[in-house]
Amino acid sequence: MPPVSSGNPNLVSHILPMASTDAEHYHSGTNGEAKPPPPKKQKLCSFISESEIQSEFSHHDASVARINNGSFGCCPQSVISAQQQWQLRQLRQPDGFYFNDLRAGILESRKVICSLINADDVSEVSLVDNATTAAAIVLQQVAWAFSEGRFDKGDVAVMLHYAYGAVKKCVEAYVTRAGGRVIEVDLPFPVSSKEEIITEFRRSMERGKLNGQKIRLAVIDHITSMPSVVIPVKELVKICREEGVDQVFVDAAHGIGCVDVDMKEIGADFYTSNLHKWLFCPPSAAFLYCRKSAKFTDLHHPVVSHEYGKGLAIESAWIGTRDYSSLLVVPSIVEFLNRFEEGIEGIKKTNHEEVVKMGEMLAKSWGTHLGCPPDMCSSMVMVGLPSCLGIASDKDTLKLRAHLRNHFGVEVPIYYRAPKDGEVDPVTGYARISYQVYNKAQDYERFRDVINKFVSDKFCCACLSV
Amino acid sequence: MASPDGKHCRSQTNGEAKPPDSKKQKITELITDDEIMSEFSHHDASVARINNGSFGACPQSVISAQQRWQLRFLRQPDSFYFNDLKPGILESREAIRSLISADDVSEVSIVDNATTAAAIVLQQMTWAFAEGRFEKGDVAVMLHYAYGAVKKSMEAYVTRAGGRVFEVQLPFPVSSNEEIITEFKLALERGKVKGQRIRLAVIDHVTSMPSVVIPVKELVKICREEGVDQVFVDAAHGIGCVDVDVKEIGADFYTSNLHKWFFCPPSAAFLYCRKSAKFSDLHHPVVSHEYGNGLAIESAWIGTRDYSSQLVVPSAVEFVNRFKGGIEGIKKRNHEVVVRMGEMLAESWGTSLGCPPDMCSSMIMVGLPSCLRITCERDTLKLRAHLRECYRVEVPIYYRSPKEGEIDPITGYARISHQVYNKLEDYERFRDAINKLVSDKFTCPSLSA
Repeated sequence: MPPVSSGNPNLVSHILPMASTDAEHYHSGTNGEAKPPPPKKQKLCSFISESEIQSEFSHHDASVARINNGSFGCCPQSVISAQQQWQLRQLRQPDGFYFNDLRAGILESRKVICSLINADDVSEVSLVDNATTAAAIVLQQVAWAFSEGRFDKGDVAVMLHYAYGAVKKCVEAYVTRAGGRVIEVDLPFPVSSKEEIITEFRRSMERGKLNGQKIRLAVIDHITSMPSVVIPVKELVKICREEGVDQVFVDAAHGIGCVDVDMKEIGADFYTSNLHKWLFCPPSAAFLYCRKSAKFTDLHHPVVSHEYGKGLAIESAWIGTRDYSSLLVVPSIVEFLNRFEEGIEGIKKTNHEEVVKMGEMLAKSWGTHLGCPPDMCSSMVMVGLPSCLGIASDKDTLKLRAHLRNHFGVEVPIYYRAPKDGEVDPVTGYARISYQVYNKAQDYERFRDVINKFVSDKFCCACLSV
Repeated sequence: MASPDGKHCRSQTNGEAKPPDSKKQKITELITDDEIMSEFSHHDASVARINNGSFGACPQSVISAQQRWQLRFLRQPDSFYFNDLKPGILESREAIRSLISADDVSEVSIVDNATTAAAIVLQQMTWAFAEGRFEKGDVAVMLHYAYGAVKKSMEAYVTRAGGRVFEVQLPFPVSSNEEIITEFKLALERGKVKGQRIRLAVIDHVTSMPSVVIPVKELVKICREEGVDQVFVDAAHGIGCVDVDVKEIGADFYTSNLHKWFFCPPSAAFLYCRKSAKFSDLHHPVVSHEYGNGLAIESAWIGTRDYSSQLVVPSAVEFVNRFKGGIEGIKKRNHEVVVRMGEMLAESWGTSLGCPPDMCSSMIMVGLPSCLRITCERDTLKLRAHLRECYRVEVPIYYRSPKEGEIDPITGYARISHQVYNKLEDYERFRDAINKLVSDKFTCPSLSA
């Protein structure tokens, strides 16, 4: 392959040079091959070095202690570069791209995902924008079931109290509106064992079946967002099957690259995970897995194109003219992962160990505690903030977060936990720290020191302006 | 690109969302031909790209602006989300509002494409049926030449929910607005035959294949006279192609892509929803925490995504204003040249145009010689691929079934587009390629499957 040379200097940033503007290269599409030119080959025996990692993420704002990978993820230079090559291909000759390259490229990405998640068949794997879109797909199908009489008004959907805000709204928009009854599973936080979660879940199953109604759907987070806790999904799916729940949908927005994701092990009917959070995809991409043998499989993408009726995976691969490049770079991501010793497994393991270490360091320094035991954390952990900061509401957490960002260069989301009656000096605020390959101990040390400074300055949230 | 200045990212709390300035243009300097070619130098120069209608085009300066937005997100996504995204989207919406003469920015939502806009409008119909506001059998009307995706959307959301869909048969070739208006009136009569209400009319502003400019203002008026509940104009080829004044046109909902004829990168579109429209409970099908805050706000956050193509509308406006007469000038010149090119081709091939010049926009249907024997849609795809691969001409072909008794009918029409980057040679190459196919006695059946 010719070396990567710079194309039009106006077109690309300082990020990485573009593929050579070789018309011939472009035309290699008719044999069905859709890959952009591969990046510079790595010697097989040398893994990515520390300085290469820093270089891959040199576009990050270096002045920020970026300890919030969980919210928006990150994307290394080499994957951004691969994405730009796809984008350029579309801009150069969009018709040729549409007819020759797009489908093959999406299929290749789907195959890679199929293999990563241990799905049976690539037809079970659809690529969509994000987990939010996947939720709309699953829940819209539930709305049709109600309006077409397959479900009865009052039939139940169960979700966790800590389900993501968008998913709660989605359940309202598609299930409640269509006549379904929604039950939330109250989960304790802080939490000390899986058993606490399993117990609460069983109780909700009972509540759901009270009036003899059927539980049509259970929406279970693999890792809750705020507060962040790893949920024992395999056990909960098993309970759902025992209780005759029709459909189980696991929302693993923080799934792949964060926890183990094995579709056959977990056994859900539908499972979605973002690729841009923990799998180094550019914004944005996610997969939605739909078990072939699931009872209800009439899922459709809400944006209907001429591919309507050909199966969700095909529908999702064409929802009108768009930039599909973030869905096309999955093979390039695998190349990036393979530069790490032990690949994604190694990254997950290191991230987990480091974030627990950092969490414990912070809790010790502040005299607080973690929100759950290490074995219920992934690459994120909830760390209690000193109660003297006076975090008394959701609004306080946003103000504190902005204050940390604007004045101290620390990016970290804060969770408000309402105190229970009788608690003395309760910890009402928890920071959700993340660890990803670009993070350094200094990021967490800065956070530690800032909070300690707040405490010694007798700072409290009430003194922050609105 | 923006300099990687940490300070820059944190300056956003004053609400200003513009990316760092690109090289400032003197306001009085118009773009030159060389500059135009440079702006589109990323196009494959070996291709006669006479199909702007399908996927549009985006100039370098707008791509650069887009990359600056993308980099800003990658640098510090949290700050981007909290400080930059909302003001940026609002600025884009305001730019569109002004371009389309909408009353209020709250009427303007930005979505991925017209296909998404159609899903939004039609999903709302599904709820109306399910919640009993519409009755089973109530009617939706659309043009027979409606875009394939929109037809499927009607099936997925209206037919499935119990609605009855009528298609307005339109003639093609067509010779006057009156032919279209007559057929449309006839279809509305049919719709009301069993005393059922016509709940929705979906009207293309410019049909895709075959491409004809539809007299939307007149058709909307007829809809109002006939008591149609909702009128939705699908103007995928709208802004930058035909005049788009939403108050003039008077529809309840109006959508247009920005990446086809308004130089935005793939992809972006607006959906206009008249404030005073009877049914205004539209929602984006991808539900986020913004659900219930109005379609424009819902559409501005549908989860983590790359919103950069929606954020560069002001940059597209800057680009357009480098041309004499701005977008009006571009439209006028595109129209004049595409008609001239169409007439040149028709004369050379001994064929005809699909409609009179005043029913064309920046695209025109040109009859292909009947000896090429285009006998079905499949032939058009094969011929198109053949032209792409062997002649480096990119042009979509439309199959028109011949009527009974027609002698040597023209069954194939090429839809040629003209945009600012096109040159005479593009159309001459196409002319010569077809003439060669004719003299070689080429026919579609001879192409492999």
